[in-house]
Amino acid sequence: MASRPSAAPTGHGAVSPEMKKPHVISVGDFRIATQKLPILKAEPIEEMTKQLGIAPPEMIFGDNHVTIEHEKTGWGIDFNAFDALDRVDKTGQSMLQVAYSKEWQQSREKTHEGIKEVVKPFDWSYSTDYKGTLSPNAPPFEETEKPIPIELLKRPDPILFFDEVVLYEDELADNGIAMLSCKIRVMPGRLLLLSRFFMRLDNVLIRLRDTRVYVDFETREVIREYQSKECEYEKVRQILAGTRDDIPALMRDPNRLSEILPIVEKRSERVVLS
Amino acid sequence: MSDLDRAIEQLRACRLIPESQVRELCYKARELLIEEGNVVSVDAPVTICGDIHGQFHDLMELFRVGGDVPDTNYLFMGDFVDRGFYSLESFLLLLCLKVRYPDRITLIRGNHESRQITTVYGFYDECIRKYGSANVWRYCCEVFDYLALGAIVLGASSELEPTGSGVNDMTQSTMPVEDGVLETEVLNSRGEVTMSTYRPRQRSSSDVSTDSRNISPPRDISAAPGQTAVPTRTGAPGTGASGDGNGSATTSRTGAVLCVHGGLSPLIDSVDKIRLIDRKQEVPHEGAMCDLLWSDPDEIEGWGLSPRGAGFLFGGDIVKQFNHLNGLSLVARAHQLVMEGYKEMFDGGIVTVWSAPNYCYRCGNVAAILELGEDASNGGTVARSNGEYGRSNGVVGANGVANTVVSPGRRYRVFEAAAQDTRGMPAKKPVADYFLVRLTNATYKIVQTNPSNSDTNTSSAFSHPFHRLYGFQKLFDSLSILCLGVYVFVCNLNDQS
Repeated sequence: MASRPSAAPTGHGAVSPEMKKPHVISVGDFRIATQKLPILKAEPIEEMTKQLGIAPPEMIFGDNHVTIEHEKTGWGIDFNAFDALDRVDKTGQSMLQVAYSKEWQQSREKTHEGIKEVVKPFDWSYSTDYKGTLSPNAPPFEETEKPIPIELLKRPDPILFFDEVVLYEDELADNGIAMLSCKIRVMPGRLLLLSRFFMRLDNVLIRLRDTRVYVDFETREVIREYQSKECEYEKVRQILAGTRDDIPALMRDPNRLSEILPIVEKRSERVVLS
Repeated sequence: MSDLDRAIEQLRACRLIPESQVRELCYKARELLIEEGNVVSVDAPVTICGDIHGQFHDLMELFRVGGDVPDTNYLFMGDFVDRGFYSLESFLLLLCLKVRYPDRITLIRGNHESRQITTVYGFYDECIRKYGSANVWRYCCEVFDYLALGAIVLGASSELEPTGSGVNDMTQSTMPVEDGVLETEVLNSRGEVTMSTYRPRQRSSSDVSTDSRNISPPRDISAAPGQTAVPTRTGAPGTGASGDGNGSATTSRTGAVLCVHGGLSPLIDSVDKIRLIDRKQEVPHEGAMCDLLWSDPDEIEGWGLSPRGAGFLFGGDIVKQFNHLNGLSLVARAHQLVMEGYKEMFDGGIVTVWSAPNYCYRCGNVAAILELGEDASNGGTVARSNGEYGRSNGVVGANGVANTVVSPGRRYRVFEAAAQDTRGMPAKKPVADYFLVRLTNATYKIVQTNPSNSDTNTSSAFSHPFHRLYGFQKLFDSLSILCLGVYVFVCNLNDQS
């Protein structure tokens, strides 16, 4: 939440009834379900910490998920926080440092030389290249050049189902934001899911990792596209400085940032369920 | 009715006061705060609160659950602003109450009470939006610089008066009542007891640390007894925390409670050292003042460095030692979100109190406040410990007979987010959007969906500027400049089911 909730707040009490019921829709042979619950309580967090080997993000929506299933073939893909976090670097090798880290460490060297141990190093930005969890019997994806058919998705078809589900979020100790969320949109003939990891480490780095899943209900074709983008914070700020926009607001907006950030990795895969 | 009372009434209704009045208020507040030391002494009874983060309606709920000012004596541990939609209303109300009832409300500084942080996390934007200029933000930031860094609660009772109305079926207690004194109680927002723990009546000391501290939410892995070499709270029954040689009749059995926003600092080994800091400045990036507002406890031994490259983590042994040397029985702090509203760690040596329910309007967590009762056993005499008079200085216990410092009785009131008037709040349902389409030309239409139902805050409540009218023009502008592809929202759906 960099600073602001990006999903619409419920405005209800702690757990609104609206949040409790899972949302399900079936179209053809496909079943789509989402679940939105409050952040985990202490006990499940403890359990998750043990299983993951790293401390989960401050806001961990461990019960949330988005699932797409094809009942006839047993194919299915699920997006959940645990599996996403399991792909976060747990060694500390790709660890980032906050902007004022150098300054801080220099002053520390003078005063507390004795304190040297970095506690449980890991990638605390919770950067993940998670592309969803496939069901055990799912036929494998194959590399493809075929893009997601954007023109079909641009058509103003009726939207039968839409949901946005946050899987986890961390304020990076007030140094920015890391957030993994899923959006799904289901039309009569197809669906599109976007799982987006957005990370802004203030004055250091902006990172965006998108996984898009496209399903054509008729042809049973599934295309999965992964895109990783990132750029130094200062570069982005300079690009934006040329616009007349509210820069701090843009820095919080992954959609606008996505236009600017260069692609560092891109992969497309497809599978036809038969 | 004075202007101040009128301002309080107005702010309670979540309506802002004029800029000129804010200036005057901030001036008065500064005059008042400058007189306070870095560590304010507060006498029990007191109700300790954690982060508020601009959740005004939840602050009102807090007052409903905990009692109104000045009937209840409050201590807020910082982070009044940022993230929520009503930082201004929340902070100005607290400030008005401070000026109106200086002895009934204590405000200490959180890491968000800083120029730098508020420009990133919302308060600055809110000031611009609601007042049209940065003046009010500037006045508030000047007040931030004068806020105390901590508080010491003295004269807290070691046992609680049991609350009458229990939800008996739900109550879990650790011990039959007749065997012990009530040490902690957890109440829901209706005032019903949902959990209570007991401590054995004063006898031999060694069980004290093993009995009933584990009332915390289960995430707490309480340090095992005897885990560290730091002297535990053992000693002759009835020995006061501060009874060492002051000659006075200070027989209080309860240690004092230090309240800070973040935690301890390796530069601070005594409460007195906090008093030496020159606090009237922006929160620095390093040093003792920074640590007090930023550090976190962790399940480690000694001190550690945060993997983020800045900031300290401290373990249970550090807390024990600090408490022991300063005659404290508890450190109360805020700063970290906890689902259950409070979390005790390290054998009850430290507690995190979190007072922003349903944080950011969507975490679904409950909030809590911590009530410490007054020790009536001394006829109202407040024992001065730690950093006041007759403080223990670390040599206590050298002869093997340490003074017993008993934890204060702790009553947690847990509450949920206020049901609020959704006018003025952003749209309730997620707005369906297309979130994919990368276009190379501008042959699309954009439909505004978020009806301007708000006079105050929809604009920054959303991080998608496309939801704002002005965003569309900008979108077209930027298309020509940034042809890398545009994600378009065609926002036309309010139906999510």
